[in-house]
Amino acid sequence: MERSDVRSLYLLAAFLVCAYAMPFLVGAWAGTVRLDERWLGNLATVVVGGIMQGGVYAMFALGLTLIFGVMRIINAAHGEMVMMGAYLTWVAFFYLGVDPLLSIVLTLPIAFVFGVAVQKLLLDAAVGAPELTGLLITFGLGLTLIYTAELIFTTDFRTIPYAPGTVQLTSAIAVGQNRVISFVLAVAISTAVYLFLKLSRLGKAVRATALNAEVAMVCGIDVRRIYLITTGLAAALAVAGGALVSIQFGFNPETGVVYTLQAFAIIVLGGRGHYVGALIGGLMLAVLENLVSLMVPNGTAMVELAAYGLMISVLLIRPGGLMGVKEG
Amino acid sequence: MKTAAILAFAGALAALLGLGVGTGWAGHRPNNEVLVGGAISQTGQYAEPAGRQVYSIKLWVDEVNARGGLLGHTIVLRLLDDKSDIQTSIKLYEKLITEDKVDLLLAPYSSGITEAVANVNERYKMPFVAYGAASTPIWEKGRRYIFNIVAVAEDYQKGAVHLARQIGVKKAAIIGQDSLFPRQAGKGAKDWCKKLGIDVVLEENYPTKQTDFTALLQKIKAADAEAVFSNSYFADSAAQLRQMRELNLNFKLYSSTIGPSLPNFPEQLGATAEYVLGFSQWEPLPKVLGHPGMQEYIERYEKRFGEKPNYHAGGAYGALQVTEAALKKVGSFDNEKLRDALATMEVQTIYGRYKVDARGMNSHEGLTFQVLRGQRRVVWPEKWAETKAELPTPEWSKR
Repeated sequence: MERSDVRSLYLLAAFLVCAYAMPFLVGAWAGTVRLDERWLGNLATVVVGGIMQGGVYAMFALGLTLIFGVMRIINAAHGEMVMMGAYLTWVAFFYLGVDPLLSIVLTLPIAFVFGVAVQKLLLDAAVGAPELTGLLITFGLGLTLIYTAELIFTTDFRTIPYAPGTVQLTSAIAVGQNRVISFVLAVAISTAVYLFLKLSRLGKAVRATALNAEVAMVCGIDVRRIYLITTGLAAALAVAGGALVSIQFGFNPETGVVYTLQAFAIIVLGGRGHYVGALIGGLMLAVLENLVSLMVPNGTAMVELAAYGLMISVLLIRPGGLMGVKEG
Repeated sequence: MKTAAILAFAGALAALLGLGVGTGWAGHRPNNEVLVGGAISQTGQYAEPAGRQVYSIKLWVDEVNARGGLLGHTIVLRLLDDKSDIQTSIKLYEKLITEDKVDLLLAPYSSGITEAVANVNERYKMPFVAYGAASTPIWEKGRRYIFNIVAVAEDYQKGAVHLARQIGVKKAAIIGQDSLFPRQAGKGAKDWCKKLGIDVVLEENYPTKQTDFTALLQKIKAADAEAVFSNSYFADSAAQLRQMRELNLNFKLYSSTIGPSLPNFPEQLGATAEYVLGFSQWEPLPKVLGHPGMQEYIERYEKRFGEKPNYHAGGAYGALQVTEAALKKVGSFDNEKLRDALATMEVQTIYGRYKVDARGMNSHEGLTFQVLRGQRRVVWPEKWAETKAELPTPEWSKR
């Protein structure tokens, strides 16, 4: 590790301590921080809630970072794939009466096939082309998905009233059932994909392609097949994320763009193409947002400021993101 | 490769522009026809509410033509799509007025778009009744050619605050999305709280894309608020309610401006939507509201579109009734005289009474409803109440 690298790590650590201390200081100054038992319960609830939320955010980001890592394509339709997953789950629930968790088992293969088709028909043309090409193609795909969904489902909002109850962790800390379910599933699916990439032969081939497609090809890896698998996997991750969205939030055909932006912020923060970075980025963003919202006066209006402020500051200190390697 | 990408991009742009303006209209019409035109969102984020207004517009046009037209002229309707975009809307209104030379202008949908378009029709001195805008600032700039018909944002929480007062709420929180309309509604809620002696212990806005309200709800509870006035749409009010239940946070009253009034709110949220208060400009309840012609309008609308009209539809139809009455009074398509008629006359419509003040604002009275056993029931004002409000809201554990 180079000396400048070590220095940037120290700087980053110091910055992060300051960033997370900031809401507490502002809160103490404004009088919203009280050190009684009830308030500490509030704080703990908010941190737990942030972690739950972050786990799901991170799962959105994984699909995006996977495609970027392997093909250097920014998938602008990622959020729309999440939205598609939410609708698939909704249809299964309201029309076929399928439990949302069970329906993931059904929708994942569909999503994988969809991803493979997208790769074959659209993205193959963008691999190796200037980054703008991939961005435009996926942007067009996103619009197509939005308007197709509007034709079928109209712009009405939907949500699924699933597991609406509460889980009381301690007398002071409560968290929603659907949140716990979403978090556990997000962690399980993310871990499974991580282990697949780390341990399996195919996963290793995916990582090799990400490192250097030409060398991978020379070593006998069928790079085009790897691309198909990557996009299939990314679409499956997005659609699974959509199922988790559908049981927590309201959605309509145009909510996808929110998830694209969120996922994009997370992977930039965590380090583009870096799998663990996306997980850490997701958790960090969600927890900071919640702390600011809880303690700063009118802080909920400032959560985006805090989130993007964090992102920019981290990039200034480490241009490659939290876990990213130095570029150039 | 690079040139190819740029060419593709330029091609896509050209195609988009072509879609917007491609279907050019010849600009001359036979003598017994009159051109009525407007731009309203048929795609994009406002497509749903604006779409219901489009239904009412089409219904009105066909009815007028069936009874011999407007002042004896058959209406030719020219309804463009602004794609829920302000810039597009401005361009389309310029085009409708200067190129197509419409005889009568129709309003767009949403406060933001109407505010922008108001500068265009003001410049060309063409009046319209704004059925899609509920934001007071539009009428506080001395404009003369725009008339209000719907209740304004400031009064959306009026009924809920009154009900809170009735059950003895002393401390309340006002939260809302950080955009024009919810902010106005929040300002109104605060004023009503002040008037009725309710202490506002927390006032906070959140970004439009906010999905997680855990921290905000904890903050509201920490401030000891008993009631929550939420100036929210579907996604945010749904998330707030669900998260209140998840976190087991109980309030005596929760009211949301827009979300609960959307047709599918109770169905999509199930039991979580119970006891929530919402606001409606109008409901298709002729027996309750008793406005003249309501029953017939509702029947015709339902027969043609397969659903009951909601308040967006009712407002548009009411505005068109006002316009028609004003034109009859004037006896010609003279826009200056039409403006004077709209500014002074009083009309009874299916939507209620229309009579504007010096600013051009109508004092339309809305109603507050509560979701009870999956149904929206009017609970305020008392003269229209179908049932008594069931408040305070029972605790989550006792439902």
